[in-house]
Amino acid sequence: MLIEQFLREVTAIPGLTGSEQEVARYIADAFAPYADEVRIDSVQSVIARIRGDGPKVMFAAHLDEIGLMVSAIEEDGALRLGNVGGVDPRILPGMVVTVLGRQKLKGVIGAKAIHLLSPEDRQKNYKREDLYVDLGLPYDAVAENVHVGDLVQLEQRFVELKNKRFATKTADDRACVAIMYRAMQLLKGMRPTADLYFVATCQEEIGCYGAVTATYGVKPDFAVALDVCHAQTPDAPRSRTQELTSAALAMGPYLHPVVRKKMADIAERINVTVQTDLTRGSTSTDADEIAVSSGGVPTALLELPLKYMHTTVETFDLRTLEETARLLAQFAAEADASWEDELWT
Amino acid sequence: MDLKQLTDIDAISGNEGALRKAIMEAAKPLCDELYIDRSGNVIATKHGTDDRLPHVVFSAHMDEIGFLISGHTDDGLLRIMPVGGIDPRVAVSKWVRVGKDNIPGVIGAMAIHLQSPEDRQRVLGFDKLFIDIGAKDQKEAERLCPVGTYAAFDTPYTPFGDGFVVSKALDDRVGCFNLLRILEGKYAARVTCAFVTQEEVGLRGARGAGYSLQPDIAVVLEGTAANDVGDVPKRARVCEAGQGVCVSFMDGASMADRGLYKTMLSLATSEGIPHQVKRAVTGGNDAGAYQRAGMGARTVVLSVPCRYIHSGASVAKVSDIDAQFALSQAFLNNL
Amino acid sequence: MLRDTLKTLLEAYGGVGSEHGVADVIRGLLEGHVDTMKTDVMGNLIVEKFGTDDNGKRIMIAAHMDHIGLIVTHIEDNGFLRVTNVGGIGVDMVRGRHVVFENGMNGVCWVEPKETGTPTLNNLFIDIGAATAEEAAAQVSLGDVAVYAPNVFNLGKHRVASPAMDDRCACALLVELLQYAEEQKNTIVGVFTTQEELGLRGATVAAYAVNPDIGLALDVTAWGDTPETKLPAVKLGEGPAVKIMDRSMVATPAVRDALFSAAELAGVKVQREVLAFGGTDGGAIQRTRAGVPTGTLSIPCRYVHSACETIDMRDMEGALKLLLQFVDHVDI
Repeated sequence: MLIEQFLREVTAIPGLTGSEQEVARYIADAFAPYADEVRIDSVQSVIARIRGDGPKVMFAAHLDEIGLMVSAIEEDGALRLGNVGGVDPRILPGMVVTVLGRQKLKGVIGAKAIHLLSPEDRQKNYKREDLYVDLGLPYDAVAENVHVGDLVQLEQRFVELKNKRFATKTADDRACVAIMYRAMQLLKGMRPTADLYFVATCQEEIGCYGAVTATYGVKPDFAVALDVCHAQTPDAPRSRTQELTSAALAMGPYLHPVVRKKMADIAERINVTVQTDLTRGSTSTDADEIAVSSGGVPTALLELPLKYMHTTVETFDLRTLEETARLLAQFAAEADASWEDELWT
Repeated sequence: MDLKQLTDIDAISGNEGALRKAIMEAAKPLCDELYIDRSGNVIATKHGTDDRLPHVVFSAHMDEIGFLISGHTDDGLLRIMPVGGIDPRVAVSKWVRVGKDNIPGVIGAMAIHLQSPEDRQRVLGFDKLFIDIGAKDQKEAERLCPVGTYAAFDTPYTPFGDGFVVSKALDDRVGCFNLLRILEGKYAARVTCAFVTQEEVGLRGARGAGYSLQPDIAVVLEGTAANDVGDVPKRARVCEAGQGVCVSFMDGASMADRGLYKTMLSLATSEGIPHQVKRAVTGGNDAGAYQRAGMGARTVVLSVPCRYIHSGASVAKVSDIDAQFALSQAFLNNL
Repeated sequence: MLRDTLKTLLEAYGGVGSEHGVADVIRGLLEGHVDTMKTDVMGNLIVEKFGTDDNGKRIMIAAHMDHIGLIVTHIEDNGFLRVTNVGGIGVDMVRGRHVVFENGMNGVCWVEPKETGTPTLNNLFIDIGAATAEEAAAQVSLGDVAVYAPNVFNLGKHRVASPAMDDRCACALLVELLQYAEEQKNTIVGVFTTQEELGLRGATVAAYAVNPDIGLALDVTAWGDTPETKLPAVKLGEGPAVKIMDRSMVATPAVRDALFSAAELAGVKVQREVLAFGGTDGGAIQRTRAGVPTGTLSIPCRYVHSACETIDMRDMEGALKLLLQFVDHVDI
């Protein structure tokens, strides 16, 4: 399958944190032709293995997504909203959503009308408490189909912008799952010696839980986490953003300098541009947890710059994605037991 | 032409050309006279059979809210200014299409992770909102979308719930839709349907139409704000979707002719057409222009309640749209 | 008599948008005194009194019939009415006031308690003595307009206080002018306008239809002669005021000067009025078609838009004398 088609399909599947079965199934099926074995673990992480005699290397990108949950049903049938992960409430007013009740129901997110707001409140953004989903149904019909706790899927589109840039929901982090997918395709024509594990982790958005369990399951010698980082947008501090047009390699105390250096050296050798994303501690990605699970795993973090993170118009550059996959594949192909000796030098 | 086709066309105020063309084609077989006036309005007239009856103009506006490209950033984003009353708080993370070639774009903003607690409170003004079409730099952005290019919300027409639809531009494509339905009928009175321009930027098209048509009666078909969902006290609801066509006694731009207002209410009652009274005097529409153009006209406004009317995704109930049409037709048949 | 005409007009109902009651009274008062009479689509009453000179001008003189009020927007389950303003009327003006509707129904305005901030019209309600929504709906409909209940009384020897003085005192002046003018040179087109308080709406279409040579609006103006109120520099009892400007127009100098000349001819003292706010039908007349030379003659009035708008009858009498000279002599 072409990478673009994989992206189009994988970003469209609902997979809110904790309810990832459907997307996990899809990813497992997609990974299967390129792996020697694929399994879905007990918490819905997908683990695909390309067998080898060398060290165990794990790659991880999360498959779960942020979203909303029904928190209450008003007397007029309007649904109040709870958060699953950090949805930016600013994006919600006027959005068409799908409520995953007994049937899938389309709805629109409405807000208190502007003329009901005090002048001070008009200067403020709507808070999640001010918002509701309008299903266009009377209370009885709503109550029959929807229960508190049902998931609310944000609007899904996959749109090609200029210059091979794409805007979609859930590029965080399915775009990185796509990087793994593409790398596995490339590895078909290469001769890796390491024992490779490509893991699409669940439950990242609420605390990287899937990465922890997968790490215990795989017990890798090295790991590379893949996640998105912030691409430049107006107003955003330059110190915390990257150019959209090339991958970023994170650097900081939580990340292993030698694994990082291996990746950087390979990148230079095969002409993949990488930027440096400096972190002073927590990276808020699976890397943080993988590094300290199962007795500790030397871990690097490879990042895909993304604009408008945690919205429904997350935007990335497909050429950057492909270059990152090329780098990842080369890294996987070269991973070698001899790296072990360099780790603490 | 159905409502989906009508809402799929982009017609930001001042750029109604594509819709005008489509409406001209749709109206052609339905009327006796058809022309575009000097304000860009489409004027479609059906000759009556009884010239003692008053000349009635039914009017709806073609234009919708949207954006104009006002500049470009170094990194290739498009600066925007709103056309018509858009609440900037509903713009973030919405799909748009830009220019004649419908270039897809998104309205993005700084990620929530990078916002300070104050940033999260602050409403991003239109000076802080941008359209991203994926252009790599300023030069490419300028070439693809020069200053003055129009951009429209891209919210496809979607039926949902119990007979509701969500779409951009329901205000006032519901009115345009019903004007075309009115043109399909036969009436004793001379009836003109005016599809007017530039309502959203100050009732400008209707001023021209009112002046040159000088109707005896102008009935404005509109979409109006319904504020009826989410535990709103009754008195603050303005009107309610699903409760029928909304008759206004007054809004910010005009007071209804008292006689016409009462006539509409009693007609709706006697014909069994679901109806309600608009319970707020906010907003304003083309009736204000018709009432005061030239020697004036008796005016009344019949509206379809629209939720979230200030956003790119407005919601209306089909039965209310039908009620607007039914009352319009009943009025013409009982002059 | 001016005072009687004034009282008659003050007691007629004429909420904004429902001015026909006032128009009916005026029609009766003018029967036999004018040459033509008609009502247009906006409810403006337009009358003509032809001049003697075939080359005379057509002077449109406008006075508005509408009266600010409260329009019903919602009926509560327990029979109270929620309202909003038609024209410039605030909560502090109406709390505890007796109001009436066109059908004669009485009401009392009150303001609900509010924990923080100052109350707005959203907190106002009218009590009409109904206990349920059904009971209320039997007597009142959404869109009905309540106005201050009529209450005309003398204040000292020369002054009269009442609601609706804005602008019935001008209607009274225009009625008397049309009754008393005899063999005047120019044609008077008297226009009793509607919806002035919502933005000169009636006058806009009437002016277009009348297409006059000269325009004149008659209206009240604010005052500057009560404690701590200095502007405008206009006092009650010092004569009518010739408007220089307000927010709706700068008076056409020729018309303004013609008003001063007419005052001199009539031996009437006048004041000059510069108002930083407000507007009159003069603004609408001045800008119709290709433009009409237009002025405004004002009656100084205290406590405008309250239930006790107060004027001085000496200013009214002076204004009438001035107008009689104006219609005979003006030639622009």
